[in-house]
Amino acid sequence: MTGNAELVVARPTGPKTPAKGLIARLLLRRGTIVVFCVLFAVACITLLPFYWMFSSSLRTMENMFSLPIQWIPDPVNWMSYVIAWQAQDFTRYFFNSGVVAIAITLGNLLLCSLAGYSLTKFHYRGRGLMFVLILSTMMLPLEVTMVPLFLIIKQLDWANTYQGLIVPFLVDGFGVFLMRQYMLSIPKDLIDSARIDGASELRIFWMIVLPLCKPALVALAVFTFREAWDMYIWPLIIITKDSLRTLPLGISLFMSSYGTSWDQLMAIAVLGTLPMILLFFFLQRAFIQGIAATGLKE
Amino acid sequence: MSSTAYAEHRTVKRRMRLGLASKQALFAYAIILPTLAILAIFRFLPMLEAFYFSLTQYDLVHPPKFIGLANFVDLMGDPLFLKSARVSIAYVVFSVIPVLPLSLGLAVLFNRSLWIKNFLRSAIFMPVVMPAVVMAVVWTFMYQQDGVINTILGWFGIDPIAWLRSSASALWAVILIGIWRATPYYMVIFLAGLQAIPADYYDAAKIDGAGGWASFWHITLPLLKPTTLLVVVMNVIVAMKVFAVPLIMTNGGPADATRVLPLFIYQTAFEFFDMGRAAAMSVFLFVAVMLFSFVQVRMFTRGEELR
Repeated sequence: MTGNAELVVARPTGPKTPAKGLIARLLLRRGTIVVFCVLFAVACITLLPFYWMFSSSLRTMENMFSLPIQWIPDPVNWMSYVIAWQAQDFTRYFFNSGVVAIAITLGNLLLCSLAGYSLTKFHYRGRGLMFVLILSTMMLPLEVTMVPLFLIIKQLDWANTYQGLIVPFLVDGFGVFLMRQYMLSIPKDLIDSARIDGASELRIFWMIVLPLCKPALVALAVFTFREAWDMYIWPLIIITKDSLRTLPLGISLFMSSYGTSWDQLMAIAVLGTLPMILLFFFLQRAFIQGIAATGLKE
Repeated sequence: MSSTAYAEHRTVKRRMRLGLASKQALFAYAIILPTLAILAIFRFLPMLEAFYFSLTQYDLVHPPKFIGLANFVDLMGDPLFLKSARVSIAYVVFSVIPVLPLSLGLAVLFNRSLWIKNFLRSAIFMPVVMPAVVMAVVWTFMYQQDGVINTILGWFGIDPIAWLRSSASALWAVILIGIWRATPYYMVIFLAGLQAIPADYYDAAKIDGAGGWASFWHITLPLLKPTTLLVVVMNVIVAMKVFAVPLIMTNGGPADATRVLPLFIYQTAFEFFDMGRAAAMSVFLFVAVMLFSFVQVRMFTRGEELR
C-alpha cells in the first residue's frame, strides 16, 4: 500500500501522434481541441461562483442587479470589505476558527500517527478488533450523534468553550486509517535496528517513523484543516457566546442580519474562502493527495 | 558451563525477552489509548445514548421519561417526517447519480497529455476549496431572480426560474450545488484510480486493434469497479449528511421542500427541544448511513487478516 499518498500525476497515456498521414493527425488534433474545449467550459462553470463572489464584492449596491448585468464592476468599490469587517467582530471569528482548526489538525497529526504506528508495528491481543472499532466510527457521523453529544458536552460544562469545539475531533477514524496504510510500507527492520542501538520507543517513533511519514502527514494535515475550517453544525449547536463564534457561524449570522447587503456579504465570503485558496495554492499536491487517499489503491 | 547454569541462563534470557516484549506491548497500548478514549467518549457513547434517548421523552428541562417505541410509532405517522425522509432520499439519488458520469468523464479527459492541463485541473478542483457556508451564501446570491444564473439561462432563451423561492425548484437548486461541489472531489479519486491501471493493458489492446471506446469499456471500466463502488458509497454518505447549505439557503423551505433529515433532526432537537424524537430520527439516519458505510469499511479492510 505504498501508493496511498502518491501524487496524482498524470501519466501521458494519451495516444502519441504516429505518422499515419495527414487525415489521422487532423482527426487526433480535432479530438484534442474538443477535449480542451469541454474542459475549458467545465472550468468556467466551476470558477463562475468564485468570479461572481469576488466581482460582486467590488460592485456598488446600485449596480448589483443592473440590466444588462455588470460583469466587470465599475466603479470599483473596496469599502464593502471595511464596512463588513467592522459590522461584526470578524477579527475574533477568524481567530477562533484559526485556533480551532489548528488545534484539531495538530491533534489529528499526533494521535492518528500514534494509533497508526501502534496498529502496524506491534503485535498484541485485540489489535485487529481495535482497528475495526476505530474504522467503524466512520459510520457514526455527527449528524447522527449530535443530540447526545451535545448533552455530554453540556454535562462536562464545555458548551461555549474552545475544548468543546476541539476535543471531540482531536482524532478521526479515517485519519488513523490513512496513517496506518502509509506506515505499513515502513520496513520493520529499520525499527528493530534502532531498538538494538538502544533507542527508546518514543524516540524511535519521533525520530525515525514520523519523518518517514511526512507525505502522509502533510496530506492528513491539509485534509483535516479543510474539514475543521468548514465545520458548521457543531459550533452552531454548542456556541451561543459571540466571543467564541467561529467564522462560518459569523458568516451565517451576518447573512441573516444583513441579508441584502450583497456587496458586504460577498466581501466576507471572499475573506472566508481566502485561507483555503492560499492553502490550496501553496500545498496543492498535498491537498489533492489527501483527497485521492480517501479512495482506494490496488 | 554446567547444565543447571545453562538452564538458568536460558530462563533469564527468556524472561528478559518477555520483559522487552511486554514493555513494547505496553507502549503499543499506551499510544493507542488516547485515540480509543476520545472515540469511546465522543462517538460510541453518544451513539448508545442516542438509542436510549430514542425510547424516551426528553425536553432538557424534565428528566427523560421512558416511553418505549412511541417516538418511532409517532414518526411513522408524522407527515413532516415522512416528507423529510422523502426529501433526503430525493437529494441523495439526484445528487449522486449525475456526479458519477461527470467525475469519471472528467478524470478520463484529464488522464492524457493536454495543453495547460495542470491549470485546468486546478480550476476544476476549486469548488472543493470553498467552505460550505460560503458556498451557501454565494449561491443564494447567484440564484436571485435578477441574478447571474437567470441571466446566463436567458442567453439560451430560458425564462427566469424562481429557484429558492419556489417549492418546485428549491430542492433542485440545492442539488445543483451538491453536484458542483462533489464532481471535482470524486474526479480526483477516479484520476488516482485511472493512474493505477498499467499502461501495458492499453498498449496490448491497441496491438489487438481495439479503439478508444473498446479499451474504455473492456479495460478502464472493469478495472475501475472498486473505485466506482467506493465513490458511490462515499458520495451517498456525504449526501445523507448535507446540512449547512439547505439550512442557510432556505431553512428547509419553501413548504418543507428542502428540509433534509439532518436539518429536521437539528430543528427538532434545538428549536423544538424534543430530544427523544430527534434521537429516534437519528436512529433512522444511522441505519441508512450504516448500510452504506459498512460497504466502505469492508472495502478498506478487504484482504487483511484482522485478529
